[in-house]
Amino acid sequence: MKTNKMIISWSWREIWSGQLWPVMVALTLIIACVVALSTLALRVEKVMTNQGRDLLAADLVLRSSNPIPELLVEKAQDAGLTISSQSRFQTMAFSDEKLQLVTVKSVESSYPLRGSLTLRDANQSAKNQVKAGELWLSPRLFSILESKVGDIIAIGDAELPITGVIEEEPELAYNPFNSIPNVFIHSSDLDKTGAIQIGSRVRYRLFINGDPTSLAAFQESYELQPGESWVDQNRESRAVRLMDKAKQYLSLTILMVILMAAVTLILTCLHYVRNRSETVSMLKSMGSSRAWLRTWLTTQVLIMFISAFVVGSTLGLLLEYLLRVPLADILPQELPNVGVQPFLFALGVALCIGLPALLIPLTRLLDAPAINVIQKQSVTYSKTSWWLLLLPFTALVVFYGGNKLVWMVLIGLLVLFVVLAGLSYGFLQLLSKLKWGAAFSLALSRISRSPKNSMMQLAALSGSLMLVALIWLVKSDLLGDWQQTLAPDAPNVFSINISPEQQQNYLQELDKSGLPHSDAFAIIRGRITKIKGQETNELAAYQDPEVRILKREVNFTWMDQLPIYNEVVAGDWTGEKTVSVEQEVAEELGLQIGDTMTFEVNSQPFTATVNSLRAVEWQSLKPNFVFIFSKDAVANLPSTWMVSFRAEEDQTPLVNELARAYPTVTLLDLRTMATKVQSLLRQISWSLTGLAALGVVAGILLIFTLLRLSLSERKREITLYRTLGASKKRISHTLWAEYGLLALSGGFVAAIAAEVILSALMIWGFELSPQWHPSMFIVLPVLAMIVVFVSLRSVIKSLMKPLR
Amino acid sequence: MSQSIINVENITKSVISNDNELSILKGISFNINEGESVAIMGTSGAGKSTMMSLLAGLDLPSSGSISLLGSIISDMDDEQRAKMRSESIGFVFQNFLLIPSLNALQNVTLPMLLRGNEDQEDNERKAKKLLAEVGLSGRETHLPTQLSGGEQQRVALARAFVTQPKVLFADEPTGNLDQKTAKTIVELLFAMNKEQGTTLVLVTHDPELAKRCQRTLIMNAGQCQESA
Repeated sequence: MKTNKMIISWSWREIWSGQLWPVMVALTLIIACVVALSTLALRVEKVMTNQGRDLLAADLVLRSSNPIPELLVEKAQDAGLTISSQSRFQTMAFSDEKLQLVTVKSVESSYPLRGSLTLRDANQSAKNQVKAGELWLSPRLFSILESKVGDIIAIGDAELPITGVIEEEPELAYNPFNSIPNVFIHSSDLDKTGAIQIGSRVRYRLFINGDPTSLAAFQESYELQPGESWVDQNRESRAVRLMDKAKQYLSLTILMVILMAAVTLILTCLHYVRNRSETVSMLKSMGSSRAWLRTWLTTQVLIMFISAFVVGSTLGLLLEYLLRVPLADILPQELPNVGVQPFLFALGVALCIGLPALLIPLTRLLDAPAINVIQKQSVTYSKTSWWLLLLPFTALVVFYGGNKLVWMVLIGLLVLFVVLAGLSYGFLQLLSKLKWGAAFSLALSRISRSPKNSMMQLAALSGSLMLVALIWLVKSDLLGDWQQTLAPDAPNVFSINISPEQQQNYLQELDKSGLPHSDAFAIIRGRITKIKGQETNELAAYQDPEVRILKREVNFTWMDQLPIYNEVVAGDWTGEKTVSVEQEVAEELGLQIGDTMTFEVNSQPFTATVNSLRAVEWQSLKPNFVFIFSKDAVANLPSTWMVSFRAEEDQTPLVNELARAYPTVTLLDLRTMATKVQSLLRQISWSLTGLAALGVVAGILLIFTLLRLSLSERKREITLYRTLGASKKRISHTLWAEYGLLALSGGFVAAIAAEVILSALMIWGFELSPQWHPSMFIVLPVLAMIVVFVSLRSVIKSLMKPLR
Repeated sequence: MSQSIINVENITKSVISNDNELSILKGISFNINEGESVAIMGTSGAGKSTMMSLLAGLDLPSSGSISLLGSIISDMDDEQRAKMRSESIGFVFQNFLLIPSLNALQNVTLPMLLRGNEDQEDNERKAKKLLAEVGLSGRETHLPTQLSGGEQQRVALARAFVTQPKVLFADEPTGNLDQKTAKTIVELLFAMNKEQGTTLVLVTHDPELAKRCQRTLIMNAGQCQESA
C-alpha cells in the first residue's frame, strides 16, 4: 500500500517536473470543451423533445395568413378531429399610465389542445381556459403597464378588465429577440378590438388533435393555399435551425481548441519520452521488470486522466453555464437533467485523443534498453501500439463520417498549415536578403540551416496565432456588426397598420410633434403567382427550401421615386406597370430586366414588368422592400401605411400621445427592443469571450510548448557553445534574435491569414461585409514576441550555464 | 577457497556498423571470485564498457558464455536477467543517474521497491542508515538538483549498496568529480565494499584507482590481459 503511495507521489512529481503538465492542461481543455458543448446541446435537445407537441399546442397545426376557411373547419369536425382556432396580431395595449406593444392571442375556450395553459386570477386560483370578456397578461406586463388585476386595459378599440396573470403557456417562441409580451383574450372579443382590417397583419392558426391515421388522411386531403403551412412536431422549427447553426459555430471553435490541445499533447509526450528514456534505462539496469515500468507509467497516465477529468468537467460545466446565459429567455427555468452522458462523451473524446498520443510514445519508452546507461545504442522501437491510432480515426468516421464541414475544416487546416509554413519561411528568406548585425545574421543562418524544423515551428506558431486571432475577430466583428444596426440616428419607432384614412393626419401629427420621420409607405400584402407566364409552383426555385419568397405573402409598396438609400444595380426606374426587385431575390428567381411577373392581392391578379434591380442594406433599419411597384400597378389595391420616425428618450410622452390618438396603429418601439438587444449582446459577448479565451489558452499553450521544446532540443548545442567560450551576450542575443524573428514572421503571416479567412467567413459564412484590421499586424507579432519572451526567458537563462 | 562468481568463457561481441561487422571483443576468458575487486582498464574504444555491459547482463555476447552467480546469462530472457540484477547486482555510474524528481531518500529506496520490498518503513530505515554512512544525514529530502556532484555520487553509492548486492559494477565512478571529491568517493566505495564483502568490478582510466583493486584486467583492441 505504502509502495503504491510512493509510486503515486513519484508519478505526480514526474508529471510536473517531467514537463508532462501541458499534457494535463491540454486534456483538461479537451474535456472542458466537450462537456460544455455536449451538455448544452443535450439540454436544448431535451427541451425541444420534452416540449415537442406542447410547444405546438396540438398534434397538428395549420398556420395561415388568411382566415381559416369555414369549410375546412367543418371538414375536420366531420373527420372526428378536435379543433380549436386562434388569431394573433400585434397591437398597442394601454393602461391609464403606460402603453406597450403586445401580441394578442385570441383563442377559443378549448385552447390549448396539448400542453398546459395555467392562468392565475385575483383569488390565486388556477384556470386552464380563456373565457369571453377575460384578459390575461404576461407577468412582466403588469410592471410595464403599471397595472394590477381588475384594472382596465385598452387593446385597440376594446376595453377589458385584467382577469389575471399567464403563468404557463404553450407555443413559446424560440426567438431571443422576441421582447413583445403576450396577452390572451377570447375569440368572441376579437371584433371589439377593431385591430383587424384589410391589409393588417393577422396570423391564423387551426389547432387539430386526433389519431395519427385520421390526421394524416386529413392533411393529405387538403391542398394548401398560398400563405398556408402545416406544422407538426417533426418539422424543424426556426429555433431548431438557429440552435443547429449556433451548435455548428461552437463545434468549429471547439474543434480548433481540441486540435491545438491534441498537438500540444503529442509534442509534449514525444519530448517526455526523449527526456525520460535514460531514466527508464537506468531503472531497467537496476532490475525493474517491464510490468513494474508499465505500472509506473500507467499510474502517471491515470493521474493525468483523472485530474484532467475532474478539473475539465468542472470547467466545462462553468463554460456551459456561460454559453447558456444568452439563452436564458428561451430555455425553461427548470432545465432537464442531462445525466452522465456529456461526461462519458468527454471522457471518450479525451481517451480517443489521449490514449494514442500518450500510449504510443510511452510504450516506446518501455523499449529503451538497459545498456543505454553505459553505452548509447540505437533502438528499434516496437510498433505494436500503433493500432491505437485507429481510435481517433474510427471515432471521426463514426461520428463525423457524413459531416462534410468537419472533414473540410480538417483538410483545410492541414493545407493551411503547409501554406503558412511556406509563407513564413519565405518572409524570413526575404529578411535574410537585407543587411543585419551579427546576432540577426547568425539567427537567420541558423533558421535557414534546418528548413524542415523551422518551417514546422513557423507553421505551428503562425497557425495557432491565426486561430487565436480568428476566434477573437469573429467574435468582435459579429458583435460590432450587431451594434451597428443600432446607429445613433437610425429611426427607432415604426408605425404600422395606419389606415388610408388616418395616413395624412398621422403624418401631420408627427410634423407637429417635431418627430423626424420617413415618407409614408403603402403596405400591400400579396404573393407572386407567375414569373414569365409560368406558375410559381412549376419553377425549379419553388423546390429549393432556401427560396421561401414564392410560398409566402410579401409586403409590396409603390413609389414615385426609388429610395435614395437603395442603389440601382441594373435597369432604370421608368415605364408603366413596372416593378423594381431586390437583386438577391432577383437572382434566386432568375429574373432579368424586362421579365413579366404576375402577383395576387386579395385574389386580384395583376402583372408588372421588371424595370430595375436594387441593392438593399437590410440591416440599416430603414424601411426596405423586395418589390417596389410603379404607382399605376398597385395604387388601387387595398393597403395600409407605414412610417418610421426617430424619438429621443425625452420625446416618449409625444409617442404615447400619438399611440392614444391612434389606438389601432401599431407602434414598434425599437427603443425597448434596443435595451433588450444590448443586454443580449452583452450576454452573447460574455459567452463568446469565454469561448475565445479557451481558444487563446489552447493556442498559447501550444506555442509555449513548441518553443520550450524546440529550445530544449538544442540544449546540448547551446551549452557546448557556452563551454567553448562564446559570451553569454552573444548566445542570448543570437537566441533572442532567432526566436524574435520566428515570432515576428509567424505573427505577421498569422495576421495576413486571419484577415483572409475572416473575410471569407464574413462574406460567405455570415453574409456580412468584411472589415480590415490593421492593428492585427502589430498585435499578433507583439503577442507572439511576448509569448516567446515569457516561454523562453527561464530556459535561455538555464542554458547560459557552462557544461559540467 | 573463494568460489567463482563470474566466469567468462571465450566470449566475442560484434556489431553491425554501416553494413560491416565490427568485432569489439575477440575471444576473451577470465574468472572473478566472490569478494574480489577487479579493475578493467584500457584506452578509449578498447571495449571496457562493452565488457561491463555483458558481465552485468545488460547485453548478450555474440558467442561464448558468461556465467554470473552460477547462471548462464545467454540462457536467461530479459525479465530473468532484470530479476537477477534487482536481487544481486548494484551499479554506480559516471554521471550518477539519479531520478531528478525523487529526493535522496526516495532514490535510495528505489532499488528495494523494484525488488518487491513492500515495507516502505523498513526500506526507509535502511536507506537512512546508508545515507548516514555516506555522510548525508539530514539531506534525505533534498532533490538531486539541490546536491553537488560529489553528494549525488554519494547518494548513488548508498543506492548501489542498499540491497546488499553480491556484485557491484562501477563505471568510471569518479570520472565526473574533482580530485578531492573523487578521493572521498573512492574511500567510501572501498570501505562499503569491504564491509559488505561485495565483489567489485570497476571500469576506470585511473591507474591509481585500479591499484586499489586486487586485480586489474587490461583491455586492448578487443583482447583482455591480466595485469601483472
